[in-house]
Amino acid sequence: MKYLCMVYAEEKKLEDIDDGECVVCGDRLRASGHAVAAEALQPVHTATTVRVRNGKLSVTDGPFAETKEQLAGFYLIDAGDLNEAIQIAAKIPPARIGSIEVRPVRQLSPRSAAVVQHA
Amino acid sequence: MKYLCLAYEDEEKLNALSESEWHALREQTLSYVAAMQQSGHLILTNALQSARAAATLRVRNGNLSVTDGPFAETKEQLGGFFLIDARDLNEAIQVASKWPSARLGNIEVRPVEEVLRQDKRYG
Repeated sequence: MKYLCMVYAEEKKLEDIDDGECVVCGDRLRASGHAVAAEALQPVHTATTVRVRNGKLSVTDGPFAETKEQLAGFYLIDAGDLNEAIQIAAKIPPARIGSIEVRPVRQLSPRSAAVVQHA
Repeated sequence: MKYLCLAYEDEEKLNALSESEWHALREQTLSYVAAMQQSGHLILTNALQSARAAATLRVRNGNLSVTDGPFAETKEQLGGFFLIDARDLNEAIQVASKWPSARLGNIEVRPVEEVLRQDKRYG
């Protein structure tokens, strides 16, 4: 079962976490076969939000939701169940200064290729 | 350059669609996924289960605490994501704007940090 683990943390506090530790965490999860994908994101001020209404595109600067802690990155992991996913997510270094949201992925259907991976 | 596109949709609004409306949206989404694959823009995409299925955790002083639900309660919920490759933000916005649920909800587009910086997390 796949789970999306979203890492939320105050951008200032993230500076207390050594990036080397995050690199090690990512490498460890890839080596154990748990990580399907993992990416760090650029700061939230680089976000853009788009919507289309009546065929018209509108674009606004900034994230969809302003939150005290910001989405800093994500891990897409493979785990036996939610408990295992939580155990894995608890070892993501920013869990010590921020929050990790864990959400199960929904399979659309076998022929839909809902999970597409090139890399 | 990689961009993470987060699709926010009101779950109730999606559930209120008629079966044929939902079928159409689903088919349009699947076709667009195939088109993005074909054009080489798509790296990875997943739909998510309901935000009700989310758990949020934190670790303080070595102690794990887990709460039910998403990190942030929002009017629209994160329904799925697609990770794309685009030349620049403009192209990423164009690609994201054709995602069918952009007509119902909002798509947040965030550039990926390709390599973590040495000096500090954010420049």
